[in-house]
Amino acid sequence: MSLWVDKYRPSSLGKLDYHKDQAAQLKNLVQCGDFPHLLVYGPSGAGKKTRIMCLLRELYGAGVEKLRIEHQTVVAPSKKKIEINTIASNYHLEVNASDAGNQDRVVIQELIKTVAQSQQIQSSTQREFKVVLLTEVDRLTKDAQHALRRTMEKYMGTCRLILCSTSTSKVIGPIRSRCLAIRVPLPSTEEVCSVLTSVCKKEGLLLPPELAKQISDKAGRNLRKALLMCEACRVQQYPFSVDQNVPETDWEVYLRETANAIVSQQSPQRLMEVRARLYELLTHCIPPDIIMKGLVQELLSNCDGQLKTEVAHMAAYYEHRLQLGSKAIYHLEAFTAKFMAIYKKFMEDGLDAMMF
Amino acid sequence: MDEYDELFEIQDDFEDQYADELDALAQMEAEKSSKPLIRHNGATGDDISDIEHLLDDQPMTPKAKRQKQDTGVAKRLFDGSQIQQSKVLSQNDDITPPSSPEQYEPRQAVRYASARSASALLDISGFAAIPETPRRPHTTALASLHVLKRPPLEGDYISVTDSAGCRVYLRQKEDTGTKRVDSRIVPNAQGGLGLLAVPIGVLREQEAERHHQQVVEESQRLTELLTRSVNDVLVDAENTEEEEHEDPEDTEGRRSRLWVDRFSPHHYTELLSDDFTNRCLLKWLKLWDTVVFGRERRSRPARTERQAPNQNSFKPNQGNQNQNRFKSKVEVTEELLEAELDQYKRPKFKVALLSGPPGLGKTTLAHVIAKHAGYNVVEINASDDRSAEVFQKRIDTATQMKSVLGANERPNCLIIDEIDGAPAAAINILLAVLNRKDGHGGEAGPEGTKKKKKKEPILLRPIICICNDLYVPALRPLRQQAFLLTFPQTQPSRLTQRLAEISLQQGLKVDTGTLMSLCEKTDNDIRSCINTLQFLHGRGHKQLDTKTIQSVSVGQKDQHKGLFHLWQEIFQLPRIKRKRIGEGFEELVGSGSGAQRFQHILHLASSSGEYEKVSQGLYDNYLSMRVRDPNLQSVCEALDWLSFSDRLNQVIMHGQNFTLMKYLPFLAITFHFLFAHTHVPRISYPHSHHEATSRLVSSRNALSTMLVDIPASIRTRISQLSLTLDILTLLLDIICPKLRPVNPQLFSSREKEQMRELINTMLAYNLSYRQDRTPEGQYTYVLEPRVEDVVKFAGLPPRRQLTYQAKQTISREMEQEKMRRAEQLMLQRNPAVKAEEKKSSGPKPTRNHQQRLENIVKQTTVETRPEVDFFGRAVAPKPQTPQPSSETGEKCAVQAMGTAVGNSDVWFRFNEGMSNAVRRNVYIRELL
Repeated sequence: MSLWVDKYRPSSLGKLDYHKDQAAQLKNLVQCGDFPHLLVYGPSGAGKKTRIMCLLRELYGAGVEKLRIEHQTVVAPSKKKIEINTIASNYHLEVNASDAGNQDRVVIQELIKTVAQSQQIQSSTQREFKVVLLTEVDRLTKDAQHALRRTMEKYMGTCRLILCSTSTSKVIGPIRSRCLAIRVPLPSTEEVCSVLTSVCKKEGLLLPPELAKQISDKAGRNLRKALLMCEACRVQQYPFSVDQNVPETDWEVYLRETANAIVSQQSPQRLMEVRARLYELLTHCIPPDIIMKGLVQELLSNCDGQLKTEVAHMAAYYEHRLQLGSKAIYHLEAFTAKFMAIYKKFMEDGLDAMMF
Repeated sequence: MDEYDELFEIQDDFEDQYADELDALAQMEAEKSSKPLIRHNGATGDDISDIEHLLDDQPMTPKAKRQKQDTGVAKRLFDGSQIQQSKVLSQNDDITPPSSPEQYEPRQAVRYASARSASALLDISGFAAIPETPRRPHTTALASLHVLKRPPLEGDYISVTDSAGCRVYLRQKEDTGTKRVDSRIVPNAQGGLGLLAVPIGVLREQEAERHHQQVVEESQRLTELLTRSVNDVLVDAENTEEEEHEDPEDTEGRRSRLWVDRFSPHHYTELLSDDFTNRCLLKWLKLWDTVVFGRERRSRPARTERQAPNQNSFKPNQGNQNQNRFKSKVEVTEELLEAELDQYKRPKFKVALLSGPPGLGKTTLAHVIAKHAGYNVVEINASDDRSAEVFQKRIDTATQMKSVLGANERPNCLIIDEIDGAPAAAINILLAVLNRKDGHGGEAGPEGTKKKKKKEPILLRPIICICNDLYVPALRPLRQQAFLLTFPQTQPSRLTQRLAEISLQQGLKVDTGTLMSLCEKTDNDIRSCINTLQFLHGRGHKQLDTKTIQSVSVGQKDQHKGLFHLWQEIFQLPRIKRKRIGEGFEELVGSGSGAQRFQHILHLASSSGEYEKVSQGLYDNYLSMRVRDPNLQSVCEALDWLSFSDRLNQVIMHGQNFTLMKYLPFLAITFHFLFAHTHVPRISYPHSHHEATSRLVSSRNALSTMLVDIPASIRTRISQLSLTLDILTLLLDIICPKLRPVNPQLFSSREKEQMRELINTMLAYNLSYRQDRTPEGQYTYVLEPRVEDVVKFAGLPPRRQLTYQAKQTISREMEQEKMRRAEQLMLQRNPAVKAEEKKSSGPKPTRNHQQRLENIVKQTTVETRPEVDFFGRAVAPKPQTPQPSSETGEKCAVQAMGTAVGNSDVWFRFNEGMSNAVRRNVYIRELL
């Protein structure tokens, strides 16, 4: 528990550093004794999970922080055994059903049923319901999400669901309509900076505001990343200097270099090299949509304003196909090739215009 | 039979290479010719003895002994023109295998020949050398070498009259050069020696004519019989005749209306398959003769002995020597065949495994050869139940039993067809049968030779296995124990020839070019060719040309070309000169070739079936094609197609929507039109996807190993995704602080704090250093689990690494911290036990060693007791007395010692040979 991220994580709604009005609303929500199913969504590093845990603590008290990991085995109708790790306290159960891959529907059905069917023992001192926390709901298959619909209604008496996802676009409508959606946006740069400064203060360190700003920018306002970067800076060099080199994640650097390679030359050979790099990224467990996003951002910043709309359009087109298909490399490469074609044509046209 | 004509020009090679077969054929001929002699020329005693010798001397191999059977008259025509003779002979269909134990029927042969209403039939019993092919359009060119329409101008000749009354003349010269075993008896063909009342030539002629008449009568009768039957198919006399004499199963085959069955080969010489393959299989089967038929296989030394006196008596050895000139693979096969028999006189390989694509005649070859070698064929194929028990039973039945009733009183030869589809269990059973050791020891040897080994488990019958795919996993163990024979492609010329014969017999007018194109279309698949012919014939075509062949879609089976072939076809433009089935000759040059190419690629791609592999191969290779594509337009289009097919696949797989699969092969066509080039493409096998998948899996594994042991409080905050995207890289930076390379004891308090945090972090995230030894022998510490690889990218500047010493320090500190934590955990878990222990150890000295110690103490005090008594003190209160000072120093010392021993935590006891002298519970916290 010694990473700053873990050490200084607020554990109650009152101690949250930003989006305080939202925290207050959550507090109100809980204080009336009951609450609907929740769908908490927002980008990575915004503090969704922190907020959920604070909420649970508000609900059940400190006992909710006594966590244990349980290895559960669910038997699919095809007699296939699915092993899944859950994290549970006495009051709640956390499942990442997408770990089960295509069999996530079975996991959802079985686990939630077993939890929801058992009543709390001492209902006088506790809430009448347990909470099931489903993470990465956007990665659930459609089957699993449909399985969730009825379960949500049926076991309303004994169980509340809190769904956690990065985006609602992949959550089916029926589920969205059954939940109270809570959006947790990224903290603003100032908020990130203030958090960083306060953490450093607690550590007895002095963080120059410029560096805090720099870290916040590099981390893309992702607070988790910002804190980790800050700590990495601390390890790298202390006392901090303003123009310190802030460490970055390798994959971002690699992706940026890939984008530069695309812009610098357009040929089948280069496309071959880019393919190797894309494969490299994919094999390092970077999800293809994140690669796509990073690539588009870098490419857009590198190309002319006239091209930007077209590139963005192509990106949307190919990302859509990416979501529909299964072999990410085809679609990533297709986008790359398309960009190369557009870019090359643009550059040649530009040259021609210069000539005449 | 074309081949023989071709080889006619190169006689030397021919003799060298085909010596075995020539011998076999010659021997057949000699046998055939000699038997009538036995029956009808009983007076010629010498001849008979010779013949008897010949019959006794049942040859073991098809390497027959031609010269040995040179029985004067029969041989005369061979002299000097042996090669031509045998070539001619080889065209004779009615030759019987040389060493077949089944009784040869000369009548059949004669009838057979004469029934053909041939133009130049000769007295076979006597000379047997007339190039008369009963079924084939005979090669008169060859025949004319020996058969003349009028008497030759010079030299001796024989005149022969056939049933039709035609008289021909046989030139008779070149008689002098070779050995004359019994020239003394029959100096010339006219029987000039005069030992017989009637010259032997005349006798033979008479006899032959008698035969001939019988045969003609017989065939006429049968022809009538057939014409009366409903069967309106053109059946010539030969077929009817053969029906009689074939095995029942063959008769069925003949009657069946499929040409494939009707024209299937029934003799060794009719086989269309590669000669070398045929010969090898026959040789292998002959190796079994020793154990099956009890005939001694001539061992090599024996053969050389016999060869020595009679230089040219044995062809087999010559054949072997000549074969040294063959390619190495061939030699290897030959050597396998020459290998010595094992202890049970069986060949080294107990089973032959034929492999090759369908339609080359593997099954036919196996049947023909087994029959040829005198076996009764028992076949197991895919239509039979091949579960383990049934298979076992059938193998045992086939290899250990023998039919005692009925005509086929011959040993069995087991043919396991389509073995590549058999379950692995069945193949294991087969292997077990092969490897059986003889349970009854010496008894089996002699018994086996007498074919009496009813209950012997040892395998004494040949087994021939046939498969299409040699590399099926289930066959792997069998491959090592089998005599492997791979079927090459049938030669189109031979196939064409045979097709021509068939179509001629069936009244189908077709030229060679058409047949060639048919062969090409079907990839020289005999079965497919004949079926196509019959199909066309059945549809009323009486005349075929190339156009018809190409327009019909039958006969074009699913070609199972290799993937590389497919990729090559896709990336390569067809050459103009190359004619390909499915493309018109004239159209190739013109503009219409696009459509043809389209069809061709579509056909190839859709018949390959492995769309996934194909598209992967296309994807991996298309960028390296040499196509001018400055604007990357075709690349973009290709990728659009790829992503389309990916989506299609997704839909197919997820919705089980397999009707959409028909659209998948069009990807190949697109790539063909976009990237095809006249150059020969350099295609590499697509590994990229597989590699990427396996690397992805290993990354995932490393991550999940890391995640598994992370404590729950942290585990709930991180997921695999956030780990890779945000945490891991930075975490690895964080756990590499700058440490002074000194002993941790000398760290400043700040550094100690830093160290403590570092270790906490590493423990919290389940990271540790493990000492590892590099192949060079150096020790390194590696981070475990191996998540470094997951976030490290090639080509980026390497991250800062800790030194070996630092890692060592950290590793040691971590171990200590782990121990500390484990102890704390233990204390937390059972604090009651600990407290009790403490209590019990204090006031109640009931523990073992303390009791023992007390005894010791008591013993030491016993000696002092009288003194104590003497001083007027009771024994009991002694321990309670606080420091009995002012006594003698001696006693004080003893008592002090006693108490010291009894109360101290530390004690020891001397045990000889034991090392557990000192025992004490020590906690880590006391040491650190």
